[in-house]
Amino acid sequence: MSSWLDYTINGLIVGNVYALVAVGLALIFGVSRLINFAQGSIYLVGAYIGWVAVVQLHTPLPLTIIVVAVAAAVVGLIIERFGLRPLQNSVRIAPLLATIGISFVLDQLVMLTFSPNPRALPSQLPDIRFQVGGGTIGPLDLLIAGVGLTSALLLFVFLRYTKLGWAVRATAQDRDAAMQMGVDVNRVNQAVFGIAAALGGVSGLLVGMYYNQIDTAMSLQATLKGVVAEVVGGAGNVPGAVIGSLLLGLVESYGVAMLGTSYRNLFAFLLLVVVLVLRPNGLFVSARQAPPEPLTGTFIAPSRPVHIPRWALLVAVAGFAILPLFPVSFYVLQTLINAWLLGMLALSLTLVAGTMGQVSLGHAALLAIGAYTSALLSLTLAVPVGLAVIGGGLMSAALGTLLISPSFRLRGHYVSIATLAIGEIVALVILNWESVTRGPIGISGIPPLSLFGYDLIGPTSIYWFSLAVMVVLALLQGRLLTSHLGRSFRAIRDDDIAARAYGLGLNRYKSLAFIFGGFAAGISGGIAAHLYSYINHETFNTQQSILALTVVILGGLGNVVGAILGSVALVGLPEVFRIAAEYRILIYGIVLLLLVRFRPQGLLGTV
Amino acid sequence: MSNPIGTRIADLINTEWMEREMSNIDRRSLVKGSLATMMAGAAFSRAAFAQSSEPILLGVSGPLTGPNAQYGTQWKQGFDLALDEIQAAGGINGRKLAYQFEDSQSDPRQSVAIAQKFVSDPRIVMELGDFSSPASMAASPIYQRGGLVQFGFTNSHPDFTKGGDFMWSTSVSQADEQPLLASYAVKRLGLKKLAVLHLNTDWGRTSRDYFVKAAKEYGAEIAVTEGYIAEERDFRSTLVRVRDANPDGLILISYYSDGALIARQARQVGLKQTMCAASSVYSPKFLELGGEAVENVHLGTRYFPEDPRPEVKKFIAGFKAKYGGQEPDAFNAYSYDAMNMAAAVLKIGGTDRRAIRDAFAKVKDVSSVIFGQATFDVESRRVKGAMNAELVVRKGQFALWDGKPT
Repeated sequence: MSSWLDYTINGLIVGNVYALVAVGLALIFGVSRLINFAQGSIYLVGAYIGWVAVVQLHTPLPLTIIVVAVAAAVVGLIIERFGLRPLQNSVRIAPLLATIGISFVLDQLVMLTFSPNPRALPSQLPDIRFQVGGGTIGPLDLLIAGVGLTSALLLFVFLRYTKLGWAVRATAQDRDAAMQMGVDVNRVNQAVFGIAAALGGVSGLLVGMYYNQIDTAMSLQATLKGVVAEVVGGAGNVPGAVIGSLLLGLVESYGVAMLGTSYRNLFAFLLLVVVLVLRPNGLFVSARQAPPEPLTGTFIAPSRPVHIPRWALLVAVAGFAILPLFPVSFYVLQTLINAWLLGMLALSLTLVAGTMGQVSLGHAALLAIGAYTSALLSLTLAVPVGLAVIGGGLMSAALGTLLISPSFRLRGHYVSIATLAIGEIVALVILNWESVTRGPIGISGIPPLSLFGYDLIGPTSIYWFSLAVMVVLALLQGRLLTSHLGRSFRAIRDDDIAARAYGLGLNRYKSLAFIFGGFAAGISGGIAAHLYSYINHETFNTQQSILALTVVILGGLGNVVGAILGSVALVGLPEVFRIAAEYRILIYGIVLLLLVRFRPQGLLGTV
Repeated sequence: MSNPIGTRIADLINTEWMEREMSNIDRRSLVKGSLATMMAGAAFSRAAFAQSSEPILLGVSGPLTGPNAQYGTQWKQGFDLALDEIQAAGGINGRKLAYQFEDSQSDPRQSVAIAQKFVSDPRIVMELGDFSSPASMAASPIYQRGGLVQFGFTNSHPDFTKGGDFMWSTSVSQADEQPLLASYAVKRLGLKKLAVLHLNTDWGRTSRDYFVKAAKEYGAEIAVTEGYIAEERDFRSTLVRVRDANPDGLILISYYSDGALIARQARQVGLKQTMCAASSVYSPKFLELGGEAVENVHLGTRYFPEDPRPEVKKFIAGFKAKYGGQEPDAFNAYSYDAMNMAAAVLKIGGTDRRAIRDAFAKVKDVSSVIFGQATFDVESRRVKGAMNAELVVRKGQFALWDGKPT
């Protein structure tokens, strides 16, 4: 029984750590309705500034904390002023993409300055341990808890009892009305970003000291866990974020206790999905409160899509089709194969996210389902590869739709967070369900692509095959968009209440969109599996989902040609920037930011 | 099968691919067949070397950005040190050796594009890498069909060299390494009931299986095994599970950063058992990140600081001189060895891609930090017989274990 006490204590200790990030995220979400993907990067910056202060400048702890808080706040202010404020009148989705771009840039800057090697960040507190249960806690645990609780409390008081706090809450409720009442909305945003960034920086410092270790890969993980904790507590609810974090820590700890370490994150993401399904606004938001997402389709603002004449598309397709007949290198062909595969995924996502308005952040799961199905069908059941790939598509359509269906009742950002969690759950099931997926060892020796008994192994043949599949899927989707089905999808996206009043069954149409989208993504995953010959649980990761969303937003939501153009751009750009070696992801991030800044509705516009 | 149009297209495609490939082969294949022609060919290419001032180029596919970027940077250090020594010794038969490092982020999408880039680039004679199994093994079919050697020196996945006869690896096979660790833990340290914590990757999982098998053979009991993902930082609850299993030793199949985290947290939750770690924690970073908590941690390694072997002395001294006193770690040693092996292979194989593949079977007793003398087993295309040293952390330093219990 004493073990349960230890599991509880350990859960609270790690929940404590999550709370530091979650509070910052909650604050920003509360005001800007924005999941700040750059929060993890500020955390990273804070940790490294702390390292410079502690190891190079030998500052005492209080001074270190102040230095880190101020420096991180400055970073936050810069992000707000130059990254996000220019976007405040554009599409709601643009700032989300901007924060992803900013996190690329910040992570890369830290990596280039400090090298990616992990560093020790020694704690400056005395090494006293207090015996609690079977284990011990140190002064740093208490400091982290203190900082988490105090900041949550201070923020609570600030929001409730100060004039600027009122302004912040007024802005959160209705930005336009707040402006009319004379609230300086920009100043409010600045204050919020400054505070959240300072908190993020300090949490990076403290967590770095806690583990005596900082490295440049810590940012994405911090964001993920922070987002989960924040949403469990109720997005935008600061005290809720603290409680959500502790709950997350406890659930993970008990999960480890029951089933073992490799199930830990499974419990974390299941908690998130359960909370979202049962209490979509989080555990600590009263049901009477107005939903934090807009009621109608302002999440994805319509814009005038760029009209591309049919003959131009024909010329482009014909041009790409005859490309291998010219003396282009296989490297170019291989890069384009990657673009076509990503294009299929983007077609899928642009349908569900753009046309249907369900912005999915877990789309890599559909790839993985298709890839594993196709690989296992062809390897264990000796199904011909062509049929196995189609089987992968069908499985992805069926299973993907089934898995994502709990998120159908959600709106806006909540859909993204739920699908993010579902994507992680699929990856973790693949890791743990060893009898079927072979776990971390992965599946090797997957046979190459073949059609009618002939192997497609040369880059040229794979190129033609993937191009043809993608074009067929694109044509089908184009046809779908102009049919009554496409119009119904857009009607639900633009105003689901009006659509329902008109007699459209929301869940049925959402399912249809995911079935079609799942099929395209599954086919892409299936082809990839046979192309690579080896896959494991890491092949289709969260970064793929984020990349797919970036492609779709870049191309223009719902825009079929845009999705393909976006794929070519986002596969091509990092290859073009190869010449810049370590700097290429930095340049890529900057280009992404500039594109969002000047073309927030996407290259070809929303359809 | 009975579809005439499909057949024709497939035929057309395959022939076209074959033709393109054949022209490459004809252009490049100078040496083949009997020993006599090989000698003649080698002499010929040696003459060609002397005339060319262009360096011989190796392609490296590995992570320089992304979550595994630290390993790519460590590779570079080892490569550069080896190259300095190779150039100083006159290069490859008078020609300089150089490498082109392409960042893959250990992402299979990028590693396949890089593979195609290297295969299409006639200057590249051999490829080294990638780091992770998904990235490396996704690229293998392209290297195999393109006829370019993929020399994976950190690829311990048992199926890596099964990708084809162009896949060679100097990665220490876990089938070799783990029984050594098990023998250290069970026979030498006398541990009887073990808790195994392992990275839940293909490497960690394979290692765990070999370790458990060997440890059981030596008579130990496995109390619990726990796999954790690479991003994990909090191990306290895992360690409570370990504690409840009541083992007398902890086995860490970890890299240095997670190994250090586990050691620290084990001490925090009050575990005092002996810890024994895989050689991948062998890094000055392990000591730095683990601090006092890694004191008395045992580890099996392939070399150690006071190793009297001349190749190790040369490596450590050279590394410290080049990188401002920094101690080299396991990944530095792997890449240093890999570059030296590449040079040895090129000295025999010249610059022809197929001859280079054949040369892997011919190199004998290449001086190596990891293996002492490295010779490939032609069947498995791997090197057997890694060196073994039993170390322990004493006073914040790696030291040869003196046989005293801790």
